[in-house]
Formats: sequence, structure tokens, C-alpha cells
Amino acid sequence: MPKASIVVPAFNSTQTLPETLASLSAQSFDDFEIVVIDDGSTDETAQIAEDHAGRDPRIRVVRQPNRGLAGARNSGIAAANGEIIGFCDSDDLWHPSKLATHMDHFDTAPQVGLSYSGSVLIDEHSIQTGHTQSPRLQNITAAHVFKRNPIGNGSAPMFRRAALRALAWCPKHEMQRDWVFDETFRQSEDIECWLRFALKTDWQIQGVSGLLTSYRLNAQGLSANIARQLETWERMVAKLRPLSPEFFKRHESAARAYQLRYLARRAVHSQDADTARNLVRRSMQISRAPLIEEPMKTLTTWAAAQALARFGDVSFRNAQSALLSLKPKQS
Amino acid sequence: MTHPPVILHIVDDTTPGGVMRVLDHLASCPLIGQTARHICQSVPRGRALPGVQADIIVSHLSVSWRSLPGLISFRARHAGTPLIHVEHSYTEAFTALNVPSRARFYTLLRTAYALFDRVVAVSGAQADWLLARALVRKASLRTIRSCVNLDTFRALPRQTGHPNRFGAIGRLDHQKGFDLLVAAFKAVPDVSLRLDIFGDGPDLSSLQTQAAGDARIRFRGHTTSPEAAIGSVDAILMPSRWEAFGLVALEARAAGIPQALAKVDGLQEQIHDGTLAVSGHTIAEWSDAIQHLAKTPPHPDIANSCATAEQVFANAWASLIEELRPQKVMQVA
Repeated sequence: MPKASIVVPAFNSTQTLPETLASLSAQSFDDFEIVVIDDGSTDETAQIAEDHAGRDPRIRVVRQPNRGLAGARNSGIAAANGEIIGFCDSDDLWHPSKLATHMDHFDTAPQVGLSYSGSVLIDEHSIQTGHTQSPRLQNITAAHVFKRNPIGNGSAPMFRRAALRALAWCPKHEMQRDWVFDETFRQSEDIECWLRFALKTDWQIQGVSGLLTSYRLNAQGLSANIARQLETWERMVAKLRPLSPEFFKRHESAARAYQLRYLARRAVHSQDADTARNLVRRSMQISRAPLIEEPMKTLTTWAAAQALARFGDVSFRNAQSALLSLKPKQS
Repeated sequence: MTHPPVILHIVDDTTPGGVMRVLDHLASCPLIGQTARHICQSVPRGRALPGVQADIIVSHLSVSWRSLPGLISFRARHAGTPLIHVEHSYTEAFTALNVPSRARFYTLLRTAYALFDRVVAVSGAQADWLLARALVRKASLRTIRSCVNLDTFRALPRQTGHPNRFGAIGRLDHQKGFDLLVAAFKAVPDVSLRLDIFGDGPDLSSLQTQAAGDARIRFRGHTTSPEAAIGSVDAILMPSRWEAFGLVALEARAAGIPQALAKVDGLQEQIHDGTLAVSGHTIAEWSDAIQHLAKTPPHPDIANSCATAEQVFANAWASLIEELRPQKVMQVA
């Protein structure tokens, strides 16, 4: 049995899957398996995965009719043999030391059930955008997960199998295997899972230092997605609120303000001035928590939204690239 | 055989409820009385623990940073007496929902439990959690599922028709999840169903507000007779957010009454024939569970799994006392 399993949900990802699998095959810790779930792709994705499996015997390919990201991850968990299970979406990359770092972490911290790292953001050409997700790593509570999502994206965390088991359930219409991720969500399935993990199990959530995941931002359709993202986030809150109404009463407004601020930043990146300004305003109306807890980030978001609205995207882009060029280049 | 050993149970929370009923049972059950004399003493919470005399002392105290110095002093003053702690409160789901700083909490529990010769878990799930988090050494841990005299529940007349009178019994606070239950029940359209909520507590008025406008839901107040409450309904609902054991589930089972139980902590191991496990705390799942129970006649064997519960409980206490009872040792010069 391999010590670790990496689940790769893949749907029509011929462009990025080879690079993803190459980054996983190159892990310095070598006692692991890769379970590629071909989630009903209509292109050559499955063939590409099979070709890689021919070169790296640690790769297994499982095919299923399309069930979406959550459904592919759940099938991957069911097929995985490792005691430690992680996920890498088929357009993201793992740093060669990522698996080794998490395995060390689990070995030395028996109470940790979810170990995650920070990420660098890359574009469609795998070029680093200069942005990172550098989250808080220690003393993570459910409130942190709800407000700031330190775990970040779906390719960042690894779990102990026992911790995933504590989270699994079987909906009455499901005949094949348990759910860990909620397959009724097509967005916000990550944060729904992380928050449920924090509220339902007593496993500790802890990060390791280093930006060990390359998380690909898709430039297209960002802005169009914003309304839907907010809607699924609200659905996640409505779903989990009965689990602990007191927790939600205490943290919901702040978390919503942070979520609106996050979406405002995405609107700024996709040059959608009206949406950005509107989201920033709503965020600030709902709660002052982001302003008090993270004044710099909140004010720059506000300023960026105003500048974009006032000066348009050309001068804004110039200003943005000038600002970015001041930042030290990341290796 | 000399006189039976005296086992003194000390408790700091005497609110009527599961813990007090289990203590009453320990003191009054003739099966248990055959091997030891169990007596209860209540002690004021937050004040120094008194010095006491007994062959074995059993703590049913609530463990907290505030009570820890008192426990340490109590241990020191009773250095020669075996001490047992029964953990009625803390569980995995309790910790998940209520304890932001878990490492600190586990340090408290490890420190407190280390003062005792034995720690008793009231369910297998709680015992697994105590071991998994290394809060108690395996050699010091025993599991004794809570119990009371179930004869009066067994004597209740059995219902055979589809349940339409649902009951929920317990303190009206966040832990019991009755807010979720009211929301789930309101979402069930069947006008022939009833929900009776027995209990008192801080959430009464908010629950009443929540239930306003739905005449099917009634608040019946605290009952001194769980038999009467269980006897007045056809099915029991327990959407608890955490539950170390869940005495109501055992009592309802003895009465042969179908139940829906949240799959948490000690409740999950009380799922037997005729009981329905509800895995999540969502309104939809509980509405589904109520509707499922309402169209399912009671399983005839619901009570079978607890036919010998009192005997099992008595035996477990007898063997725990036997292993700790101070032995007369022959002194060899």
C-alpha cells in the first residue's frame, strides 16, 4: 500500500493535465499513488492520463460519467489506498517538495488531520502572476476558515484518511460510495468542505510554510461568475448554519464582508469597475471587520475599485504593472 | 466476605437530567447493591471540594481550568483512595463545535484525567475519542454505557400504527438541536403530525417564536416522568449537536419506540433495528427523517438490543470496583 494518494479530478483538461501529472511524478517523496479520475471527459484527457500511467506505474486512471469536481474527488477518495490523501486539480501544479513536507508534518503532528500550504498563482501559460496565497498557518479555528479560508484552493490541502472518514456521509440516493465533498455544489465546494471539517471534527487544521501549490487562475469568465459565486457561498452558509447557529450568528457578517471583498478583488482583476465598486461598498456596509483586522488589504481593494472606475482600465493597468514591478520577483 | 465497599459519587451539577438519573440508579439498583454500597454527595461548583471518606470515590464533576486546582488538592487529600472520573460532557462533537483552542483544551483534559486511577467513558465513541486524542491511557480507560431502570419503559403499551405523534425530550438549549428540529418539522407538510417538545431551558422563548404559527408544535415543559413523556408519543427525535451517551434514546428503545438519531458521539452507537441515523444537521435531512418515520410502522424488535442493559451496567461497575478495591496485603517481615 502506498503511504499517500494524490487524487487528480480531470475533465477535458488535455492542455494542462500533462504538466500537472509531471509535477506529481516529480515529487521527492516517492511512496505514493496518483488516482486520476477522468470525469466523463469528451476529449483526449483519459488517453493522456493512460499514457502517463504507462510511464509511471504509480498512476491509476478511473473513468466515470461526469459528476463534477466534488463527485470526481469523492470517487478519488473511494479509490485511494493511502493513509494520507491529497488533491491536485488537473490544471494546478505541486512543488516537488510538497508531498514530502506534508508527510513530515503528519508524522510529527498526530493531532493534525488537515495540512495545507500556501500557493503561487499562475496564468494559463503557467507563468507566475506575482500574486500568492500566503495564509496564516497556526492556531486555525473554524472562524478563520469561515472568514479567511487559509486552506485556500482545492489543490492545497492533504488529509488523514481517518479525518476524511469522520466527514463522510452517504446520501440516500447514492448507491456507489460515500460523499466527503457535497456534490450538490458546483462552486464553493471547497470552502463548504473545509468549514464542515472545522465544525464537525476535532482534528486540527494546520499549515506548513512554503508556497507549495501553483494554482491556475482562469482569466475567462471571472466576472460573469461573481454573482453565481456569491449565490453558492450563501447556499453554503444556509446549509451549514443549523449545525451551529451561534457560530454563524457570531461570524457570518464578517465572513460575508470578507467574501464580498474577495469577489471585489476578482472583479478588479477582470477590469469590471461597476461590479468591483458595488461589492466593495456592500462589503463595508455589512461589517467593519475586514477594515479593522486587515486595514491595508481592505483599503487597497477599495482604492483599486475606485481607481478602476475613475480612470478606466488602461491607466489602471499601467498603475498595476508599475506597482507589481516594485515587488521583489518570486523565484 | 466482609462488608460491601462504600463507593461515594460526587457531583457538582444536580440539574435534573441524565446524569442525576444515572446516579439515582446507581444508588438504588438492587443488582448494583449486591456488590457495593453506592452513595451520592453533591458538592457546590466552584468551591473547594470537601474531604470525604469512602473505599472508592467517583467524580461526576465538570472539568475546567477553574476546577483543576480543586481537583489536584482533592487528589492530594485522598492519596490512598482509588479515584474514578466519569466523563459525562466532553466528546469529539462537543470539541469540534465549542473549543476554538483545542491544544489547550486537551492539555486541561490530560492533566485532569491523570489525577484519576480510572476514567470511565459513557459510550464507545467517547472512549475512542479519548484514546485517539491521547487524553487517557488505554490501561486507565473503561467504557460503561449509562443506564437507568428501564422496567417502566418496557411496560409501556406498544404502538403498532404509523407514528404521527413525535416527541423531543431534553434541556432546551443549543446542544439538543431543537431549533433545527422545529425548522425541519415546519417544513413537513403533513397536517396530521404532531411534535411535542418536553423540557425547559434558556432557548424556550426563541423556540416558541420559531414555532409560532404552527399549531402542530407544542411545548410541554419539563417533565419529572420521562416514562409519561415517552408513553405519550409514537416516535422520538434526537437531533443533538453532541451527546456523550443519550439516555433518552436508550429509554425510548426500551419502550419499543422508533427514533431518528443524529449520527454523533454516543448516539451513533445506539442505532439499532428500528432506529434511523441522520448523518447531518441540515433541515432537509431532518424533514426527510420525520417523513420517513411517519410512513414506517415500528420495527417489532426495537427493544431487543437493551434487554439486559441494567445487568451489563451492574456487571461493569462491579468489575471496575473489584479491580480498584484496596486489597488486604499480607505483610511479610
